[in-house]
Amino acid sequence: MARTRKGLVAVLAMLTASGIALTGCSAAGTPDSSEPTKLNVWGWVPGFEDLVDEWNEKNPDIEVDFHRMTGDDGEKVKAAVDAGAGPDVVQLSTHDLPEYVIADRVQDISEFTGDIEERFTESSWASVSFGDAVYGIPQGIGPAGMMYREDIFAKYDIAIPTTWDEYLEAARAIRAADPNVYIAGFSPSEIGQWMQEVWQAEGSWFGIDGDTWTVSVNSDENKLVAERWQQLLDEDLVAVTQMWTPEYWAQVNAGTLATVSYAAWFPVQLAENAADTSGLWKVAPLPTNAGESFAGESGGAANVVLKGAKNPEAAAEFAAWINSADETQDRLISVGGLFPSTLTGLDSPELTSEQEFFGGQVINEVFIEAAKNTPNTWVDGPAFSTASAGITDGFAKVAVGEKTFVQVLDEVQEATIAALKDKGLNVKAGS
Amino acid sequence: MSSTTIAAPRRRAGAGLRLAPYLFVLPFAVLFVWFLIAPIFVAIGNSLFRETSSGLGFGSANETVFVWFEQYAKALQDAEFLAGFGRVLLYGVVQVPVMIIISAVLALLFDSALVKGKRFFQLAVFLPYAVPGVIAALLWGFLYQPSVSPLVAGLRSIGIPADFLSPGAVLWSIANVSIWSYVGINMIILFSALQSVPRDMYEAAKLDGAGELRIAMSIKIPMIWPAVLLTTLSSIIGTLQLFNEPAVLKTITSNISSDYTPNMAIYAASTTANDPQLASAMAILLGLATFILSVVIMKLTTRRKGVNQA
Repeated sequence: MARTRKGLVAVLAMLTASGIALTGCSAAGTPDSSEPTKLNVWGWVPGFEDLVDEWNEKNPDIEVDFHRMTGDDGEKVKAAVDAGAGPDVVQLSTHDLPEYVIADRVQDISEFTGDIEERFTESSWASVSFGDAVYGIPQGIGPAGMMYREDIFAKYDIAIPTTWDEYLEAARAIRAADPNVYIAGFSPSEIGQWMQEVWQAEGSWFGIDGDTWTVSVNSDENKLVAERWQQLLDEDLVAVTQMWTPEYWAQVNAGTLATVSYAAWFPVQLAENAADTSGLWKVAPLPTNAGESFAGESGGAANVVLKGAKNPEAAAEFAAWINSADETQDRLISVGGLFPSTLTGLDSPELTSEQEFFGGQVINEVFIEAAKNTPNTWVDGPAFSTASAGITDGFAKVAVGEKTFVQVLDEVQEATIAALKDKGLNVKAGS
Repeated sequence: MSSTTIAAPRRRAGAGLRLAPYLFVLPFAVLFVWFLIAPIFVAIGNSLFRETSSGLGFGSANETVFVWFEQYAKALQDAEFLAGFGRVLLYGVVQVPVMIIISAVLALLFDSALVKGKRFFQLAVFLPYAVPGVIAALLWGFLYQPSVSPLVAGLRSIGIPADFLSPGAVLWSIANVSIWSYVGINMIILFSALQSVPRDMYEAAKLDGAGELRIAMSIKIPMIWPAVLLTTLSSIIGTLQLFNEPAVLKTITSNISSDYTPNMAIYAASTTANDPQLASAMAILLGLATFILSVVIMKLTTRRKGVNQA
């Protein structure tokens, strides 16, 4: 007993001694100012690792360490930044950006961005800038198009709708021709499909008037979309179904949904989850509002420099390079699956390749056109997630006939204004 | 003189005895305080503050202001949060008795000589408990979706238009998942309690002419009453804490809102609304409600038992 205890003490002493020795060693081995700046970068774009390696080769003085975000990493970022342990650069949905700005979790990088604004489309740059401040570098956008089953439209001799009025007619015609087929599904939980049509109608949920936030969840533009959706629902022209569920994909595969209107990143999902329907689909522009030619958009992502970053200049430099340099564009599109927010990216031949799933159509021609025709009226604001959750919860009630779209918008308008007041912000109802 | 020599070792032995239990309890106590008691106090502390900004919120420093019980008032004015309590209470009133009755019936069956292949069936009933709650909800989720479910297809083929995810049915679809999950463990608890009932009581009852049913109702159930109470109480607590099953099923139906149960509302307040102070107040309220309900049920059931004995 005594012997083992002695032995233990000896081991402990040895460990302690070696620990001290190691510490001493590393302290002595630390080089001085020539050590490179280290950046921790979090994101979820596929193939980012290769681009980071390329950066590290070219820039020995700024060493980037990339962490791929999965699961609830998005939620972890907030806590990590607040605890002073966050990464330097993180990928973020631009809808979430204002909440990050107000919670003081991101840095203004306008002094480092110079004239790279010119490399980006107007609307994507607008999504990261608030007044004179710039809070991130755009990283892909989501222009909308209408994926449709060419065979179904051909079978019943129905023209592909180009306006929302024609869409309503087509919806009635499809339903009349085959009672099992709907022109589209209505997924109350899918906020992106709502936003893209509000965006198309030159609407927004938020705005800035001087030093006051305006909230316009129930504006005329929002109500225009609400009335359209209400009519489709009331006439039983859309199938209520929740997107991304096995039930949803079963319906898509069974050919009971003739169109899906969504962003440029959706075709990949469609091809993956409805492989058996290959060759039956085509992409057309999102139908337009009467007298307008605008396209829609559901939002993009950005690389932002977080509060804890000790060298915001290096961080901004990296974020700018990876997202806007000519040499990164092709790989962001082909490997990363991004729809580019840069002008060079939009001109990339990679973007205009033929898609087998869509019968050889160059589908991105539609999305490129959409990106050019997207209004820049959309403003993201604080309490975005409160508004978004209120709308999806409310739309579920609409789907079962307990409320109307307009009622939900009015309720969420009130709730969002209350949420902003709660945070002590200046807020008023917008029009 | 002699008394001191005796007293000295006794004191030493006494000191050793007094210290040892505390040492044994220490690891538990440290973890208990650190992970349970301390967070409660942190939550109480948090719930008395509000984070505030000004203007557009850009560039202005965020302040944390002491607001007394404002967050509690806000939580209690939140109609959806309160509706969540109503929902889980309704759920509990149905789900808990159904589950405990099924568990008790199964336990009594396994305890009687009537069942053949006892081990196999016991394992079969218990097995779902080994499936994590999230997985159970995912499994049932498949069975609830019309286009992929053999269950729905089967019911429809015999003329029953089943829709497990409709606004009126979805609460009971959640209840079904948790009954499936937890009948096994409650059955085991009740069954073990039955094993400790002295067998000669049954013999005496039989001699008095009691049948199996009479023995079950008049001897077995009263004898295992504390175990029934324990399983009921823990089920009620579980009911108020309902989160996993509805949170998973929410991904397949929007008829479950983001604040469907109190725990989901707390989660939404802390993540979606980014308001940890309000979430803390809600959590304290949920804790209080659970505590009060447990005490009330304990009082009610023990009193009834007292009446029976008298």
